[in-house]
Amino acid sequence: MNVAWWCSGTGQVWTWRYTPFLGVWVVAATMIGGYVLSHRRAGRPLDRRRFRRWVLGVLALFVVSEWPIGQLGVGYLATVGIARYVVYTFVAAPLLLSGLPTWLVERWLPEGSRRQRAVAVLTSWPVALLVFNAVLFGTHLPVTIDTLKTTQLGSFLVDVLHLGAALVWWWPAMRPAHERNAIQEPIRAFYLFASSVLMFVPAAFLTFSPLPLYGLYELAPPLWLGFNPVADQQAAGIVMNVVGGFVLWGIIAVLFLRWAKEREQADATARRERNARVLARIEELESGGADSRRERT
Amino acid sequence: MTRATLLLVAAALVLAACSPTTSTALQATGLDPQPDGWRGIPIELDRQLPDVTLLDTDDQPVELATAFLGDPTLLFFGYTNCPDICPIHLAAIASAMGSTGVGFDELDVVFVSVDPDRDTPARIDEYLANFSPRMVGLHADLDTVEQALAALDLPGPIVEGADPRGEGDLIGHPAQVIGFDSDGQAQRVWPFGARRSDWVVDLPRIVDEW
Repeated sequence: MNVAWWCSGTGQVWTWRYTPFLGVWVVAATMIGGYVLSHRRAGRPLDRRRFRRWVLGVLALFVVSEWPIGQLGVGYLATVGIARYVVYTFVAAPLLLSGLPTWLVERWLPEGSRRQRAVAVLTSWPVALLVFNAVLFGTHLPVTIDTLKTTQLGSFLVDVLHLGAALVWWWPAMRPAHERNAIQEPIRAFYLFASSVLMFVPAAFLTFSPLPLYGLYELAPPLWLGFNPVADQQAAGIVMNVVGGFVLWGIIAVLFLRWAKEREQADATARRERNARVLARIEELESGGADSRRERT
Repeated sequence: MTRATLLLVAAALVLAACSPTTSTALQATGLDPQPDGWRGIPIELDRQLPDVTLLDTDDQPVELATAFLGDPTLLFFGYTNCPDICPIHLAAIASAMGSTGVGFDELDVVFVSVDPDRDTPARIDEYLANFSPRMVGLHADLDTVEQALAALDLPGPIVEGADPRGEGDLIGHPAQVIGFDSDGQAQRVWPFGARRSDWVVDLPRIVDEW
């Protein structure tokens, strides 16, 4: 059996012979094992809801990194390559972040530690926006794809960058309001929307370029006769634009509606409290007036 | 040794153990521009279209040395079961011709089969139709094909082993496209790795200058 560390563009003919990627198994096992172990060490029970999200996030990473999707996306089809990016960024990263309890974040990033300070800088929303878009643009340049994705280590590095940038980017938008750097509406909606708009730029290059941008996909053994790398690239641009956009806008809508509902509930509660206070005051005044009338008589 | 160092060592070992899974490294960067701006590499030797008689897909004889004189010609030796080099070259040429507006009435693209056992005329026609039905498909017995290759200083085809897709044998063959001017004189070669962006530069010059 062929075994590899990570998926990469090999230039070899595609076959349906299973090639396990050891690195993917190691990373997935470490992420789930580390999560469970951290709870055990801290003597805290697993919160089933959070743990499910964490596992789903790891599963999303695993599915798009392991054979066959990982190999197809890195070595043969730009469409699958961009779909992998979309899953890393818009599915796995938010699931992982929402699976992390605050105490675990504080445990992994002790207050005042160098790690914590670095994360605090990276996850302030203007920096996060910058980092995310720098990685988005940088890792989709033809020179980056054609150079890094033809080696296992380079391909692994690109995937780590994608996940890292996505975690940094989602951090301010996903973490609970009381945590450092967490942002709320309307800044959050603007922050996410701005990124979705910036994503149109590389997506437009993919969709409208008349020539294949990436030699990796153009010179890879075709999966079928008559395979057209330009059509594949256009489909990749549409995946980035439409799927990435829809997923992101869906998330923006859900977060915004949740915020609006919370605001409405808070307003209603405040209104009820105010009304109760007014009623109490009126009753107090009325009972005070009755007492003074009784005294006069 | 710290835990982090141990992890790094373990990762390096795994990497070292797993890296050589592939025998060929993909060069995805395309061709370097030549000093004269072409992407195709100039041929210094004096070589002509080989003087051999091949058959077209209607089994009519074609004198390779004379049949294509008058227009520039791109000549490529390959086989229809080829999983990589042949379809990539032919797709790139067909696509770049579409992009540049270079037509088959001003440039001949000739595919010569190096696999006479499997490449029947019907199979060659069906295969070329995936790129353009106006590409010319030729075939002959192996001796004649080898004679044509030898005339261009190219090695003959060899069986390389079983096709991993389970489609018979893989055949090793020259991976370059050879360009001849309208007088049948070899001018340039485009090795495997030539991309559409390379052909888009060269095709208009082939038509204009050859």
